[in-house]
Amino acid sequence: MADVLGAFEQAVLLAVLRLDDEAYGRAILKEVQERLERDVAAGAVHATLERLVRKGLLSSRLGSGTPIRAGRARRYYRLRPAGVRALNDAREAVDSIWRGLKWPLVKAINTL
Amino acid sequence: MIAEMTRPPEWAEAVLRLSLNAADRENVSGDLLEEYRASIVPIRGKTAADRWYVGQVAGFVWRATWVWAFLFSGEFVARTAYDWLVPTTDFATRSAVSTWSGVAVLFFAAMWTAWRSRSFTAGVLIAMITSQIAAVISVVSSAILFAIWHDADTQRAIAGSGGLAEVFMLPFAMIVPALIVGGAGSAAASLGRRMLRT
Repeated sequence: MADVLGAFEQAVLLAVLRLDDEAYGRAILKEVQERLERDVAAGAVHATLERLVRKGLLSSRLGSGTPIRAGRARRYYRLRPAGVRALNDAREAVDSIWRGLKWPLVKAINTL
Repeated sequence: MIAEMTRPPEWAEAVLRLSLNAADRENVSGDLLEEYRASIVPIRGKTAADRWYVGQVAGFVWRATWVWAFLFSGEFVARTAYDWLVPTTDFATRSAVSTWSGVAVLFFAAMWTAWRSRSFTAGVLIAMITSQIAAVISVVSSAILFAIWHDADTQRAIAGSGGLAEVFMLPFAMIVPALIVGGAGSAAASLGRRMLRT
Protein backbone atom coordinates (compact mmCIF):
# COMPACT_ATOMS: atom_id res chain seq x y z
CA MET A 1 0.00 0.00 0.00
CA ALA A 2 1.34 3.47 -0.90
CA ASP A 3 2.14 6.02 1.82
CA VAL A 4 -1.16 6.78 3.55
CA LEU A 5 -2.30 10.40 3.37
CA GLY A 6 -2.36 12.53 6.51
CA ALA A 7 -5.70 13.75 7.83
CA PHE A 8 -5.18 17.29 6.58
CA GLU A 9 -4.09 16.09 3.14
CA GLN A 10 -7.27 14.00 2.95
CA ALA A 11 -9.35 17.00 3.97
CA VAL A 12 -7.80 19.12 1.21
CA LEU A 13 -8.14 16.41 -1.49
CA LEU A 14 -11.76 15.75 -0.53
CA ALA A 15 -12.46 19.48 -0.64
CA VAL A 16 -11.07 19.56 -4.19
CA LEU A 17 -13.27 16.58 -5.08
CA ARG A 18 -16.42 18.17 -3.62
CA LEU A 19 -15.83 21.59 -5.19
CA ASP A 20 -15.25 20.10 -8.64
CA ASP A 21 -14.86 22.98 -11.16
CA GLU A 22 -14.88 25.58 -8.38
CA ALA A 23 -11.88 24.13 -6.54
CA TYR A 24 -9.60 27.17 -6.22
CA GLY A 25 -7.50 28.31 -3.26
CA ARG A 26 -10.01 30.34 -1.26
CA ALA A 27 -12.91 27.95 -1.89
CA ILE A 28 -10.76 25.00 -0.79
CA LEU A 29 -9.81 26.91 2.38
CA LYS A 30 -13.47 27.60 3.24
CA GLU A 31 -14.50 24.00 2.53
CA VAL A 32 -11.71 22.58 4.72
CA GLN A 33 -12.62 24.98 7.54
CA GLU A 34 -16.27 23.94 7.31
CA ARG A 35 -15.47 20.22 7.35
CA LEU A 36 -12.91 20.41 10.14
CA GLU A 37 -15.08 22.88 12.09
CA ARG A 38 -12.12 25.10 12.97
CA ASP A 39 -10.08 28.02 11.61
CA VAL A 40 -7.33 26.93 9.25
CA ALA A 41 -4.39 29.08 8.16
CA ALA A 42 -4.35 29.92 4.46
CA GLY A 43 -0.64 29.10 4.45
CA ALA A 44 -1.31 25.56 5.67
CA VAL A 45 -3.77 24.92 2.82
CA HIS A 46 -1.45 26.48 0.26
CA ALA A 47 1.54 24.41 1.46
CA THR A 48 -0.56 21.23 1.36
CA LEU A 49 -1.84 21.99 -2.16
CA GLU A 50 1.76 22.57 -3.32
CA ARG A 51 2.85 19.28 -1.77
CA LEU A 52 -0.04 17.34 -3.34
CA VAL A 53 0.74 18.80 -6.76
CA ARG A 54 4.42 17.80 -6.32
CA LYS A 55 3.31 14.27 -5.38
CA GLY A 56 1.25 14.08 -8.58
CA LEU A 57 -2.10 13.76 -6.76
CA LEU A 58 -3.44 17.10 -8.02
CA SER A 59 -3.06 19.16 -11.16
CA SER A 60 -3.60 22.91 -11.37
CA ARG A 61 -4.30 25.62 -13.90
CA LEU A 62 -4.66 29.37 -13.73
CA GLY A 63 -8.09 30.89 -14.35
CA SER A 64 -9.31 34.45 -14.69
CA GLY A 65 -9.41 36.97 -11.87
CA THR A 66 -12.36 38.88 -10.43
CA PRO A 67 -12.75 42.48 -9.19
CA ILE A 68 -12.95 41.42 -5.55
CA ARG A 69 -9.41 40.04 -5.85
CA ALA A 70 -8.17 43.04 -7.79
CA GLY A 71 -8.18 41.01 -11.00
CA ARG A 72 -5.62 38.51 -9.73
CA ALA A 73 -5.88 35.07 -11.28
CA ARG A 74 -7.38 32.10 -9.46
CA ARG A 75 -5.53 28.79 -9.46
CA TYR A 76 -7.93 25.87 -9.90
CA TYR A 77 -7.09 22.35 -8.80
CA ARG A 78 -8.26 18.96 -10.08
CA LEU A 79 -7.86 15.51 -8.62
CA ARG A 80 -5.62 13.25 -10.69
CA PRO A 81 -6.10 9.44 -10.88
CA ALA A 82 -3.22 9.01 -8.42
CA GLY A 83 -5.09 11.31 -6.01
CA VAL A 84 -8.22 9.17 -6.27
CA ARG A 85 -6.15 6.05 -5.56
CA ALA A 86 -4.47 7.73 -2.60
CA LEU A 87 -7.87 8.68 -1.10
CA ASN A 88 -9.18 5.14 -1.59
CA ASP A 89 -6.03 3.73 0.04
CA ALA A 90 -6.45 6.11 2.98
CA ARG A 91 -10.07 5.07 3.49
CA GLU A 92 -9.11 1.40 3.23
CA ALA A 93 -6.40 1.89 5.85
CA VAL A 94 -8.85 3.50 8.28
CA ASP A 95 -11.44 0.75 7.69
CA SER A 96 -8.77 -1.91 8.28
CA ILE A 97 -7.69 -0.33 11.58
CA TRP A 98 -11.30 -0.10 12.80
CA ARG A 99 -12.42 -3.50 11.55
CA GLY A 100 -14.23 -5.45 14.28
CA LEU A 101 -14.81 -2.35 16.43
CA LYS A 102 -18.08 -0.51 16.78
CA TRP A 103 -18.14 3.27 16.42
CA PRO A 104 -18.59 5.19 18.67
CA LEU A 105 -16.44 3.33 21.18
CA VAL A 106 -17.93 2.67 24.60
CA LYS A 107 -15.46 2.94 27.46
CA ALA A 108 -15.01 -0.46 29.12
CA ILE A 109 -15.00 -0.37 32.89
CA ASN A 110 -12.29 -2.67 34.23
CA THR A 111 -12.70 -4.05 37.71
CA LEU A 112 -9.93 -5.73 39.61
CA MET B 1 -19.75 47.23 -1.71
CA ILE B 2 -17.54 49.05 0.79
CA ALA B 3 -15.85 45.78 1.80
CA GLU B 4 -15.00 45.12 -1.84
CA MET B 5 -13.02 48.35 -1.95
CA THR B 6 -11.27 47.82 1.38
CA ARG B 7 -7.58 47.03 1.27
CA PRO B 8 -5.46 45.23 3.84
CA PRO B 9 -2.31 46.98 5.15
CA GLU B 10 -0.06 47.68 2.16
CA TRP B 11 3.09 46.69 3.99
CA ALA B 12 1.58 43.29 4.90
CA GLU B 13 0.52 42.69 1.32
CA ALA B 14 4.03 43.59 0.14
CA VAL B 15 5.62 41.16 2.66
CA LEU B 16 3.20 38.42 1.56
CA ARG B 17 4.06 38.85 -2.11
CA LEU B 18 7.78 38.77 -1.29
CA SER B 19 7.48 35.55 0.70
CA LEU B 20 5.74 33.68 -2.14
CA ASN B 21 7.40 32.06 -5.12
CA ALA B 22 6.88 33.78 -8.45
CA ALA B 23 4.32 31.26 -9.77
CA ASP B 24 2.03 31.71 -6.76
CA ARG B 25 2.36 35.42 -6.16
CA GLU B 26 -0.82 36.47 -7.94
CA ASN B 27 -3.20 33.62 -7.09
CA VAL B 28 -2.29 33.26 -3.39
CA SER B 29 -2.36 37.01 -2.70
CA GLY B 30 -5.63 37.12 -4.65
CA ASP B 31 -7.12 34.31 -2.50
CA LEU B 32 -6.21 36.12 0.70
CA LEU B 33 -7.57 39.43 -0.61
CA GLU B 34 -10.83 37.77 -1.68
CA GLU B 35 -11.27 36.12 1.74
CA TYR B 36 -10.40 39.41 3.46
CA ARG B 37 -12.97 41.38 1.47
CA ALA B 38 -15.74 38.79 1.10
CA SER B 39 -15.71 37.18 4.54
CA ILE B 40 -13.48 38.85 7.11
CA VAL B 41 -14.20 42.59 6.76
CA PRO B 42 -18.02 42.18 6.66
CA ILE B 43 -18.01 40.05 9.81
CA ARG B 44 -15.17 41.45 11.90
CA GLY B 45 -14.73 45.01 10.67
CA LYS B 46 -11.66 46.65 9.16
CA THR B 47 -9.40 46.71 12.23
CA ALA B 48 -9.93 43.08 13.21
CA ALA B 49 -9.73 42.08 9.54
CA ASP B 50 -6.36 43.81 9.25
CA ARG B 51 -5.16 41.84 12.29
CA TRP B 52 -6.43 38.64 10.69
CA TYR B 53 -4.61 39.48 7.44
CA VAL B 54 -1.32 40.21 9.22
CA GLY B 55 -1.69 36.90 11.08
CA GLN B 56 -2.16 35.03 7.81
CA VAL B 57 0.88 36.77 6.30
CA ALA B 58 2.91 35.84 9.39
CA GLY B 59 1.99 32.22 8.69
CA PHE B 60 3.36 32.42 5.16
CA VAL B 61 6.52 34.16 6.36
CA TRP B 62 6.99 31.51 9.05
CA ARG B 63 6.73 28.73 6.47
CA ALA B 64 9.33 30.50 4.32
CA THR B 65 11.81 31.02 7.16
CA TRP B 66 11.47 28.47 9.97
CA VAL B 67 13.96 25.92 8.68
CA TRP B 68 16.64 28.58 8.09
CA ALA B 69 15.85 30.21 11.46
CA PHE B 70 16.32 26.93 13.33
CA LEU B 71 19.57 26.25 11.46
CA PHE B 72 20.89 29.74 12.22
CA SER B 73 19.86 29.67 15.87
CA GLY B 74 21.11 26.08 16.19
CA GLU B 75 24.66 27.02 15.34
CA PHE B 76 24.53 30.02 17.71
CA VAL B 77 23.17 27.99 20.62
CA ALA B 78 25.63 25.17 19.94
CA ARG B 79 28.49 27.67 20.04
CA THR B 80 27.13 29.17 23.27
CA ALA B 81 26.85 25.78 24.94
CA TYR B 82 30.34 24.83 23.77
CA ASP B 83 31.85 28.05 25.18
CA TRP B 84 30.15 27.48 28.53
CA LEU B 85 30.90 23.79 28.90
CA VAL B 86 34.35 23.65 27.23
CA PRO B 87 35.97 26.97 28.18
CA THR B 88 39.00 28.25 26.30
CA THR B 89 41.10 31.38 26.01
CA ASP B 90 41.59 31.07 22.25
CA PHE B 91 38.31 31.67 20.45
CA ALA B 92 39.75 32.11 16.96
CA THR B 93 38.82 28.70 15.55
CA ARG B 94 35.39 28.60 17.20
CA SER B 95 34.61 32.10 16.03
CA ALA B 96 35.63 31.27 12.48
CA VAL B 97 33.48 28.11 12.40
CA SER B 98 30.39 29.71 13.93
CA THR B 99 30.70 32.91 11.89
CA TRP B 100 31.10 31.19 8.55
CA SER B 101 28.39 28.63 9.24
CA GLY B 102 26.01 31.44 10.18
CA VAL B 103 26.98 33.37 7.04
CA ALA B 104 26.34 30.24 4.96
CA VAL B 105 22.84 29.77 6.40
CA LEU B 106 21.81 33.37 5.72
CA PHE B 107 23.43 33.34 2.27
CA PHE B 108 21.59 30.21 1.16
CA ALA B 109 18.33 31.36 2.74
CA ALA B 110 18.51 34.54 0.66
CA MET B 111 19.70 32.77 -2.47
CA TRP B 112 17.00 30.09 -2.29
CA THR B 113 14.26 32.69 -1.70
CA ALA B 114 15.50 35.05 -4.41
CA TRP B 115 15.73 32.13 -6.86
CA ARG B 116 12.18 30.86 -6.20
CA SER B 117 10.57 34.28 -6.03
CA ARG B 118 12.69 35.90 -8.76
CA SER B 119 13.01 38.86 -6.41
CA PHE B 120 16.23 40.34 -5.02
CA THR B 121 14.27 42.14 -2.31
CA ALA B 122 12.55 38.93 -1.21
CA GLY B 123 15.91 37.26 -0.60
CA VAL B 124 17.18 40.14 1.53
CA LEU B 125 13.92 40.41 3.47
CA ILE B 126 13.77 36.69 4.23
CA ALA B 127 17.41 36.70 5.42
CA MET B 128 16.66 39.62 7.76
CA ILE B 129 13.45 38.04 9.10
CA THR B 130 15.26 34.72 9.51
CA SER B 131 17.90 36.42 11.65
CA GLN B 132 15.28 37.91 13.97
CA ILE B 133 13.22 34.74 14.34
CA ALA B 134 16.50 32.92 15.02
CA ALA B 135 17.31 35.58 17.63
CA VAL B 136 14.15 34.79 19.57
CA ILE B 137 14.85 31.05 19.37
CA SER B 138 18.47 31.61 20.43
CA VAL B 139 17.57 33.79 23.40
CA VAL B 140 14.95 31.35 24.66
CA SER B 141 17.30 28.38 24.18
CA SER B 142 20.18 30.19 25.89
CA ALA B 143 17.93 31.09 28.81
CA ILE B 144 17.06 27.41 29.17
CA LEU B 145 20.75 26.51 29.04
CA PHE B 146 21.50 29.10 31.72
CA ALA B 147 18.68 27.79 33.88
CA ILE B 148 20.28 24.34 33.69
CA TRP B 149 23.94 25.38 33.96
CA HIS B 150 24.72 28.40 36.13
CA ASP B 151 27.26 27.03 38.61
CA ALA B 152 30.34 29.08 39.46
CA ASP B 153 32.57 27.40 36.85
CA THR B 154 30.01 27.95 34.10
CA GLN B 155 29.51 31.58 35.08
CA ARG B 156 33.29 32.09 34.87
CA ALA B 157 33.22 30.51 31.40
CA ILE B 158 30.34 32.79 30.40
CA ALA B 159 32.20 35.88 31.61
CA GLY B 160 35.30 34.76 29.72
CA SER B 161 33.45 34.24 26.43
CA GLY B 162 31.68 37.58 26.25
CA GLY B 163 29.15 37.55 29.06
CA LEU B 164 25.39 37.19 29.21
CA ALA B 165 24.82 40.50 27.45
CA GLU B 166 26.47 39.04 24.34
CA VAL B 167 24.35 35.88 24.59
CA PHE B 168 21.05 37.76 24.88
CA MET B 169 21.69 40.83 22.72
CA LEU B 170 24.05 39.72 19.94
CA PRO B 171 21.44 37.56 18.17
CA PHE B 172 19.23 40.61 17.53
CA ALA B 173 22.19 42.56 16.15
CA MET B 174 22.48 39.93 13.41
CA ILE B 175 19.92 41.87 11.38
CA VAL B 176 22.72 44.04 9.99
CA PRO B 177 24.93 41.19 8.76
CA ALA B 178 21.74 39.51 7.49
CA LEU B 179 21.07 42.57 5.32
CA ILE B 180 24.56 42.37 3.80
CA VAL B 181 24.78 38.58 3.45
CA GLY B 182 21.18 38.48 2.22
CA GLY B 183 22.14 40.94 -0.48
CA ALA B 184 25.04 38.71 -1.50
CA GLY B 185 22.82 35.63 -1.61
CA SER B 186 20.16 37.40 -3.64
CA ALA B 187 22.80 38.72 -6.03
CA ALA B 188 24.11 35.16 -6.48
CA ALA B 189 20.59 33.98 -7.34
CA SER B 190 20.13 36.81 -9.86
CA LEU B 191 23.49 36.02 -11.44
CA GLY B 192 22.65 32.31 -11.54
CA ARG B 193 19.33 33.00 -13.30
CA ARG B 194 21.01 35.27 -15.80
CA MET B 195 23.64 32.61 -16.53
CA LEU B 196 21.04 29.86 -16.90
CA ARG B 197 18.67 32.23 -18.72
CA THR B 198 15.65 30.84 -16.83
